[in-house]
Amino acid sequence: MTANETPGTSTDLAVVGWAQAAISRRTDQTETQMLMSAITDALTPLGLTRADVDFTCLGSCDYITGQAFSFVANLDAIGAWPPKRDSHVEMDGAWALYEAWLRLHEGDIEIAVVTGSGRSSTGDPSLIYPMEMDPYVLAPLGADLVTFAALQARAVISAGLADERAMAEVAVRSRGTGTVEELLAGEYVREPLRRHDLPPITDGAVAMVLATGDRARQLVERPAYITGFDHRTECHNPAFRRLDDSPSTRIAAREAGLDDRGLNGRGVEVAELQASFTHEELLLRHVLGLGDDVAVNPSGGALRANPIMATGLARIGYAADHVFGGGTRALAHATSGPCLQQNLICVLEGRS
Amino acid sequence: MTRFVESTITFPYKRSLGPVTGAFMTALAEKRILGIRNGAAVLVPPMEWDPASGAELAADLVEVGPAGTVESWTWVPVPTEQHPLEKPFAFAFIRLDGASCPLLHAVDAGSPAAVFEGLRVAPRWRGRRVGHITDIQCFVPGETSEVDGPDVESTGQPVELMDYTASVTYSTPVLAMADRAVAATREQRLTGLRCPACERVYFGGDRPYCPVDAVELGPDAEIDLPSTGTLTNFIVVEPVRYPGQTATEPFARVFVLLDDSDVVLTYQPVIDLPVDEIRVGIRVTAGWAPIDAPVDNVSGIGRPLGSLLGWTPSGEPDVNDPDLVNRIY
Repeated sequence: MTANETPGTSTDLAVVGWAQAAISRRTDQTETQMLMSAITDALTPLGLTRADVDFTCLGSCDYITGQAFSFVANLDAIGAWPPKRDSHVEMDGAWALYEAWLRLHEGDIEIAVVTGSGRSSTGDPSLIYPMEMDPYVLAPLGADLVTFAALQARAVISAGLADERAMAEVAVRSRGTGTVEELLAGEYVREPLRRHDLPPITDGAVAMVLATGDRARQLVERPAYITGFDHRTECHNPAFRRLDDSPSTRIAAREAGLDDRGLNGRGVEVAELQASFTHEELLLRHVLGLGDDVAVNPSGGALRANPIMATGLARIGYAADHVFGGGTRALAHATSGPCLQQNLICVLEGRS
Repeated sequence: MTRFVESTITFPYKRSLGPVTGAFMTALAEKRILGIRNGAAVLVPPMEWDPASGAELAADLVEVGPAGTVESWTWVPVPTEQHPLEKPFAFAFIRLDGASCPLLHAVDAGSPAAVFEGLRVAPRWRGRRVGHITDIQCFVPGETSEVDGPDVESTGQPVELMDYTASVTYSTPVLAMADRAVAATREQRLTGLRCPACERVYFGGDRPYCPVDAVELGPDAEIDLPSTGTLTNFIVVEPVRYPGQTATEPFARVFVLLDDSDVVLTYQPVIDLPVDEIRVGIRVTAGWAPIDAPVDNVSGIGRPLGSLLGWTPSGEPDVNDPDLVNRIY
């Protein structure tokens, strides 16, 4: 197999459009309604309808929705006729995009729609998230995501990669509000994390359109070609990992081709990182070797809006926006699980 | 104003433990903590597999602790109902003596000022232990283990299963169209939504979309439907015991094709129709709760919709159509 035949280095699939719906602290809309809008808003500017779509893959989570098989109701939003190939991942929509990207490599179909959606306002995240931890020794302790994030923050601080001031600076830059001094005067939620170090609770949906190269060039002037795509995972129990490092991010970046063209920041102009906690951005910058010449999370990132199950896909969307707007190369990162357990890297490029 | 409905879902899991985690849990009931050798390292809690390579580990279990050293910690000022302690506590990575990696558990330290890296801690065991990670109620500062209350000796039986129950309350929006469909049943009317594009009709209002055309259906799409129909198919459920199952006798769920329409109601309850008399083709009519009787506002598969409690034989002759049985959607 030559390099060009390896899925990880294929260059002829592109993101051609995307849209968000109902991104807010709490929406009255159902997940299906959010998806209905997001999919329509992603397709319409391209002159496409649902009948043009060959494959769909939806990312959502029953535990967040509070309903078994909730993705079945979400199918009402994709248009059942004519029949289309469909899949679902119980993961962020970034992984739905990964599946669609693999599927389009088969070469027999041209257009895929992927989504990520969730209504986190529905329940209490601190009670829902322990259910995704180790079921024998962590979930029964109610080991919550913020507790694990705090333990990772302490490791990142101990390694000299962050301090509470630098973390507050990330929060101020991402949200565009407040001052570092004001934020550092706040109480700890989980020492060393304060309220500003945590992501907001956000409802919302994201839909994205992926097309093969020839179709992409017909649909938009400047497609965002996916030139590298990989994801890796680590042990489920953070106690067994080094929390001041993210080897899965490093491997995914290498497999996505960044060691030649962009690791250490070379060639990447924008990096959209799914850093839900402030220290995660500082750790990921270090692991990816992103220098000051790379604009990190110009969108405000997950600290500004965190629609769980769509946050990672939105990162890819904002990275694509950079290319649509004339940029050359952008990196998107998505993550899943406690303390950056699983990490995905997607590299998007424009062609002149 | 959108109405929100609160529902609490309990997840009562019973998990099988396997040889390694089972041995760990069995030892906890005996106030012992086990790790597993992985080369020169000792993993606590023991895993069946090397977390780095995935290679299966020989079941070479070794006792560690029970005391250990806090390696990292965070303070939980407001515990949740799922946490091990009701008062503020530290969650800590504790390196038990003899272990190569930390164990996450609670430390009852009183205040964050009393917790630090290097703090020595020992388990506070529950008096009655069942083979569960919460047999250790928490760790406490010092070198000496404690027992909370009278110490009930373990039976020595191998622990093969564990319980885990989580309970989550969700607040879910109820669409106006869903409420309208329930309100109609209070007047002993059934309603549906007709798609303006394809003219297909969908029963009720809790999914106010045409999935074929991917459009939302509002009040303009609402139509009245007949409350008579024909039973097309059925299932008889022999209740088995599981959490939440309150039925003890066999019961039926039936599918009803409404008259003068293409609408099939799925998984409907029956009234005054014994299980052994159910057959395809029975003519049925809606069974209503008395007007003004309180009704459940929550709909769902197999549940009554508002005042529609189920379907009862009308007494008309059966419909003899071999294709009826295929009408389940």
